[in-house]
Amino acid sequence: MFLHYIDLSIRSIKSTPVISVLMVFAIAIGIGLTMTSLSVFHMMSMDPIPHKSQAIHFPQLNIMDEGGEWHTDDNIPYQLTYQDAINLYNADADFPRSPSFRSGFSVHLNTPDVKPTMEPARLVYQEFFSIFERPFIFGAPWSKEEQQSKPYVVVISESINNRLFNGQNSVGKSIYLDNKSYRIVGVVEDWDHHIKYYDLNNGAFNSPEKLYVPFSIAPLEEIGTWGNTNGWKHETLNGYQSLLQSELVWVQFWVQLNTAAEKEAFSALIMAYMEDQQSKGRFNRDNLQYALRNVTQWLKYNQVVSEDNRILVGLSFMFLLVCVANILGLLLAKFLKRAPEVGVRRALGASKKHIFAQHIVEVSVIGLAGGILGIVIAQLGLWGVRTTNRYYEALATMDVSLLLAAPTIALMASFIAGLYPAWLVCRTQPAIYLKSQ
Amino acid sequence: MLTMHNVGKIYQTDSVQTHALRDFSLTVNEGEFIAVTGPSGSGKTTFLNIAGLLEPFTSGQYTLDGIDIGGLSDNQRADIRNQKIGYIFQGFNLIPDLNIYENVEVPLRYRGVPAKERKVRILECLEQVGLASRARHLPQQLSGGQQQRVAIARALAGKPRFLLADEPTGNLDTLMARQVMELLEEINQNGATIVMVTHDPELARRAPRNIQVVDGELADLTFYQGKPATPASAPEKSAHESVVGG
Repeated sequence: MFLHYIDLSIRSIKSTPVISVLMVFAIAIGIGLTMTSLSVFHMMSMDPIPHKSQAIHFPQLNIMDEGGEWHTDDNIPYQLTYQDAINLYNADADFPRSPSFRSGFSVHLNTPDVKPTMEPARLVYQEFFSIFERPFIFGAPWSKEEQQSKPYVVVISESINNRLFNGQNSVGKSIYLDNKSYRIVGVVEDWDHHIKYYDLNNGAFNSPEKLYVPFSIAPLEEIGTWGNTNGWKHETLNGYQSLLQSELVWVQFWVQLNTAAEKEAFSALIMAYMEDQQSKGRFNRDNLQYALRNVTQWLKYNQVVSEDNRILVGLSFMFLLVCVANILGLLLAKFLKRAPEVGVRRALGASKKHIFAQHIVEVSVIGLAGGILGIVIAQLGLWGVRTTNRYYEALATMDVSLLLAAPTIALMASFIAGLYPAWLVCRTQPAIYLKSQ
Repeated sequence: MLTMHNVGKIYQTDSVQTHALRDFSLTVNEGEFIAVTGPSGSGKTTFLNIAGLLEPFTSGQYTLDGIDIGGLSDNQRADIRNQKIGYIFQGFNLIPDLNIYENVEVPLRYRGVPAKERKVRILECLEQVGLASRARHLPQQLSGGQQQRVAIARALAGKPRFLLADEPTGNLDTLMARQVMELLEEINQNGATIVMVTHDPELARRAPRNIQVVDGELADLTFYQGKPATPASAPEKSAHESVVGG
């Protein structure tokens, strides 16, 4: 019977093409806009590393003296000072961890053939690659020994390797970052992330870095950050070394803590460190305060998905509701015009259930067609977002779950729109129409 | 087969009450062919609609094939319509988007008859009304008489025991009307009980039994014993006596 209803639906759509096309377009536009905003929202709010987001943590220390105020909810600075990052990295503990900050270099091969390009780089320790599971195409991360004593090494991204070395294994070759030669130790896949969750300072949806150099290069080459640097008290800086010893916060820090026990142990380590620092004249406050958030908590804390995004999704669903209301009106007109035929069907033995099912299937066919067309419109919408705002490039895509959600939402919307007209038409009293037909 | 006892039907609006049927009592036996006549607005179609379970009645008792219709739900009435009753309408009431084959198929689909059996039955019925070769035509491609024959085939497809015809020849010329009437007589001879509403006295005379409805009441009842006769020659009986006497 279901296939028969589909057949009847297609005939009905063909017999009333204008009204049917109007309904399909109404639902398609509603779905298109809803899916565009929902796709961006979905990408923004999805867990960037689901299997590990509960294990990777970001520590924050309240370095301010008593009475100091920061603009965060818990009054703790977002980033760490260089000295705290280094001290936490060097602390005696087995947890994989790495300080990190974004910078950039002019990249070239010191030959006239290849033009230098300015490329963003990330300064990290070797553990960064394992914490964030960066897959290597060639080579491997630099060793502990290299990052301490021979730090002029680099891991390049696949796209740089393709551009400079035609995709060949470039491990062992040298490239120039600014005026220094660095030996390539590895080539990693380009990082195709939607949210740059490991560094929200330059924008949560910014593009990933294409080079990785040891964190230990920073003091040697006096490399400045391309991110935010903030302070809580007046400090006069005399050169790069004073920046490293200052109370300015500009370094991110990630640590992998797989269990609650490990988290507890690292918390104790932080507390011990703060007490030690306090004894040396820092952290002049009554209560030492720190935070240790996993990736999910970190994204929420940083309000990666803003209230505006939520409102936009809400508005798009309201627009879909307007479309549903329009479809409801069109369906009422269409179905009630068919009441005489329904009267005949009822006389021939169709129950109310049969008539209701027939009309709901017809509405669903319209909804499905609208949903599929809606995906096309959503793709156009997302293309529009990508081309007008490069910042949202990684976000303005539709993943499989949303591709499946689009027709599902369309079906639900059309079902809601069709519920009342189908109910009304199934209550047709056959006798009224049989004589007058 | 069909027994109505003091059945009444009142149409109610905010200010007006219309008695379409009053104390209507009638028994129709298995295999009968009854013609129902009466002036326009007398209640013939209301009687037929109630008999065909197309609308509920206001008072009285109605049993069809031993089933008390008064207590049935809408779905149960739909089931009985589908299983036991066939309809032939004055306006044919074929579904314009469906071809002849599919029109005849409609009641069988609602009955859940398997596709193979449906096909056999449909072709059989179309053969019976002489339209098997037009199975793939749309209703609007047929003449009025042919459309009515399709409607008869549709009514027969479910093998109903009870056939209701509301002015089945009302929209047909004399020749076609005669053909349709002959078809109904043939169907009756094959065992189906037929109740036919008509304005045409000549057609009514061909039915073995006539009843007349005036102002919603059974006014006159005439037997022709299967051969043409004038109303005056029929035995005089009161409506109620006739019902009881059959």
